[in-house]
Amino acid sequence: MSDQPNNPAEVKTGITIKTTPEDHLIAWLAALAIAIHIIESVLPSPLPGVKPGLANVITIAVFILYGWRTAVWVSMLRVLVGSILIGTFLSPTFMLSFSGAVASLIVLWLASRLPGEGLGPIGLCLLAAMAHMFGQFYTAYLLFIPHDGLFKLLPLLMTAAVVFGIISGIIVRSMLRHLDKRKNDTTIINSRNEQEK
Amino acid sequence: MTRADYCTVLFAALLLPYLYISQWTGDEAGINATIINDGETTQVSLAHDHTYEIDGALGTSIIKIEDGKIRFAASPCLGKQCIHSGWLAHAGEFAACLPNRISVAVLGEEPRFDSINF
Repeated sequence: MSDQPNNPAEVKTGITIKTTPEDHLIAWLAALAIAIHIIESVLPSPLPGVKPGLANVITIAVFILYGWRTAVWVSMLRVLVGSILIGTFLSPTFMLSFSGAVASLIVLWLASRLPGEGLGPIGLCLLAAMAHMFGQFYTAYLLFIPHDGLFKLLPLLMTAAVVFGIISGIIVRSMLRHLDKRKNDTTIINSRNEQEK
Repeated sequence: MTRADYCTVLFAALLLPYLYISQWTGDEAGINATIINDGETTQVSLAHDHTYEIDGALGTSIIKIEDGKIRFAASPCLGKQCIHSGWLAHAGEFAACLPNRISVAVLGEEPRFDSINF
């Protein structure tokens, strides 16, 4: 690895952790998602469980650009590190966040197996948001409030998920367009364009 | 937007009304009520208007059923808390007259929470 001499860990201890370019990519993207996750946790929420879920914009963009495996890494790191930094690790909030993330990753995996042109950013975001909501809702139902009265909240929560899912889908779409434009401008060989041919 | 995207949006657009209708309509009205007199329970139906006179520890409490609702109409107690509880119609609602040791609770298909704290 050419970038190893810059590693401060090597200078001090002589131990080298081998990192691949993929690791760096995941770390950068996860850092971005974590930052959004933390900023978002400060926003007040009208109902427990309702959040714009803008950190999922990163998950979906990563899923489209780099595939499902990378999206799993970024999403799981985001939930884990985000909760440790906010101080909700292993709390109900973390459980809900984690189960929602797992549910949306499962749905994304299914979506990646779709034949034909598959889903675009809006469909993916919407599906992921709804899966996220179902996942955390059932976790809340099974673990924390095992009462059927909780289902009265489901329509409201799902409406929020659909609205925010579509909004983040639109964000992902314009983000990808922007990235594509920049790629073309700087005449970097676009591997994605080659794949499309 | 691909065709699958439109299908997803359509799915969401159909799911939401379904959720609202299935979860928010048909709020169960109380079908039955139970009158507890010093630990002795009597099940009564709210379907028919009726007036019960129940002899408790102090005297006679009058419990009225009207239009699917139930209430304490008269009580020999001092505080009259039971009368002030007013009409009870929904499952889980409850009125008690502790001095006279009589209480009334509306039953639904299953008991609901008295309160929820977060």
